[in-house]
Amino acid sequence: MEALSVQKVNKVYDKTVQALQDITFEIREGELFGLVGPDGAGKSTLFNILTTLLLPDSGEIRILGMDLINDYKLVRQEIGYLPGTFSLYPDLSVKENLDFFAVMYKSNIEENMDLIRPIWRQIEPFSKRKAGKLSGGMKQKLALCCALIHRPRILFLDEPTTGVDPVSRKEFWEILQTIKTQGITVLVSTPYMDEATLCDRIALIQNGKILGIDTPQSIIQHFKGTLYTFRSADIFSLLKALEDCPLQCNYYPYGEYCHIAFYEDMETAMPQFLQFLEEQGQEHGEIKPIQPSIEDCFIEIVKMHRHE
Amino acid sequence: MRTILILIKKEFLQVFRNPLLLSILIVAPMVQFMIFPFCADYEIKVLDIVFIDHDGSSVTQDIIHSFDASDIFVPHGIIHNKKEANRMLKHDKVDIIVEFPNHFEQDLMNGNATRIAITANAINTTKAGIGVGYTQEIIGGYMQEFKEKNMVYTSAEETPANVNLSYIYWYNEQMNYKNLIVPGILVILVTLIGCYVTALNLVREKEIGTIEQVNVTPIRRWQFLIGKMIPFWILGMAEFILGIGIMKLVFGITVQGSIPLLLGITAIYLLVMLGLGFFISSVSENQLQAMFIVLFLFIIFVLLSGLFTPTEGMPKWAHHINYLNPMSFYMEVIKKIVLKGSTFISVQKETIILSVMAVLVNTGAILSYQETSK
Repeated sequence: MEALSVQKVNKVYDKTVQALQDITFEIREGELFGLVGPDGAGKSTLFNILTTLLLPDSGEIRILGMDLINDYKLVRQEIGYLPGTFSLYPDLSVKENLDFFAVMYKSNIEENMDLIRPIWRQIEPFSKRKAGKLSGGMKQKLALCCALIHRPRILFLDEPTTGVDPVSRKEFWEILQTIKTQGITVLVSTPYMDEATLCDRIALIQNGKILGIDTPQSIIQHFKGTLYTFRSADIFSLLKALEDCPLQCNYYPYGEYCHIAFYEDMETAMPQFLQFLEEQGQEHGEIKPIQPSIEDCFIEIVKMHRHE
Repeated sequence: MRTILILIKKEFLQVFRNPLLLSILIVAPMVQFMIFPFCADYEIKVLDIVFIDHDGSSVTQDIIHSFDASDIFVPHGIIHNKKEANRMLKHDKVDIIVEFPNHFEQDLMNGNATRIAITANAINTTKAGIGVGYTQEIIGGYMQEFKEKNMVYTSAEETPANVNLSYIYWYNEQMNYKNLIVPGILVILVTLIGCYVTALNLVREKEIGTIEQVNVTPIRRWQFLIGKMIPFWILGMAEFILGIGIMKLVFGITVQGSIPLLLGITAIYLLVMLGLGFFISSVSENQLQAMFIVLFLFIIFVLLSGLFTPTEGMPKWAHHINYLNPMSFYMEVIKKIVLKGSTFISVQKETIILSVMAVLVNTGAILSYQETSK
């Protein structure tokens, strides 16, 4: 059975801003599903709808077999939500916050302690501290405890790692994997492409539209171009020069490198490309073929959708 | 039940951890009580007076001397120049000018009509009214004496037109203004706690996002609102009792009527104000907006309630608006029970109206509170 089924959901803000457009996807029970997209893609809007805080303009959503819009009261008991911004009571202590949300869900801390214990252990030493005085990572762990305290069947995490340091991010994803092993379905959104590979399946979202849904491996396998990477002394002038490149290609800066995906037969294309660079007077490092990352795939998919 | 209890517990924890709010709750009533009744005092202590004497007779001298006997009047001498007197009035040196015409004594002895002109600075209307009243009183008193002494028997019709003997009691010696203003402050206090603090509290939850976190829980909106209301209702009642205590200890004003009745009606009034506070917070997005709406309503409520200006003097349309003003009904109740010692029968109407308002406002608050936005 699908834990979550979203069919043709639309949302327009102020009659003009199309925040979500025909969003359709399904999440299987026990899946760790990632919603990957840049800021402003519509991730938070979708989360607000799925957590019963916002009504969609049209579309049908079923959560664990319940109709989200009509049975929202029942749905609320079964879902946990970690919003994008810290929203616990800063003037209540760690323990008081947890207590409060446990009771709000008609549960208690002891009942589901085994579920949150690995996370709780890390914040327990600060249980008397005010939540507002915790460090960013600790706040996030407390919020996660509060969202899990009633043992939800689906957990929604809206950009849980945005603004979190790399070590804590890694730790947080490990926690998500353990939550998954407890049989809880997880929907997590992130603007970081590298995190996408840690999900079972991901949906790429841009401008309120889902551009593709698949496992990260499959998305990478379906990369259509042949990807190369190389360094350049002056990346700006290189990108400018590439505008005149006669070959079918897609190029973009990638850190201090330039990534270029060719949609040509490389046997003939590569000599042409090298010649082109020489004519343009572009100095460059070694041009190496590489495996595409999720980010490369995302860029390719966005590009293709733009051409359509 | 457990849900509501933890909401109440949470609210009290937050109130007691907020040093600013706590000090506002305790210090604000003290300060209001200690300062306001002493400032908002309509009692006139000093009236500066100057005389223009065109007659210079013994009668005018006698009248002028009779002002010396008064504690209130401070005479600024006798001058003969009207321009000079007007200048003094203009520069706030004097509040009142008394001008005696030529041949005043002669006319008086002959029983002819004569007039004394009293000019008052009416920027402060209360002061002018009281000043003119006092002046008339003193001159009138002298005239009475004068007539008896000089056996000038005049019939009522012949009484000189402007030496009028009517005694106008602009200021009632028996009426202590503090008795009115202090219970009024009590009303303001309860209103502030009920409406202001509640509205700001709920809208703050909106600002920091905790309300969303609460909204995704299965809790019902009425549970949430009740959990919010009870703590502030208790705080409001505590504040009211504190106010009654200060009223008794500092001003010696004891509640003349039944205290349980007073508390009962206050409880209902607080419900109206709490509901209004919630309603305001659900239509505003941040504390600033909420504050402006509360302030806007609060000023209208206070000005129409009859605390500063008597409602009797208001035009009819203002009376109609006042039917929507819960504060005016509550003010009426407070005046009746605290000062007059009225029983339930005489505040029955107000109690019923406040109860209806409480039901309506709170229904509106629950309906306007959005768990899910569109």
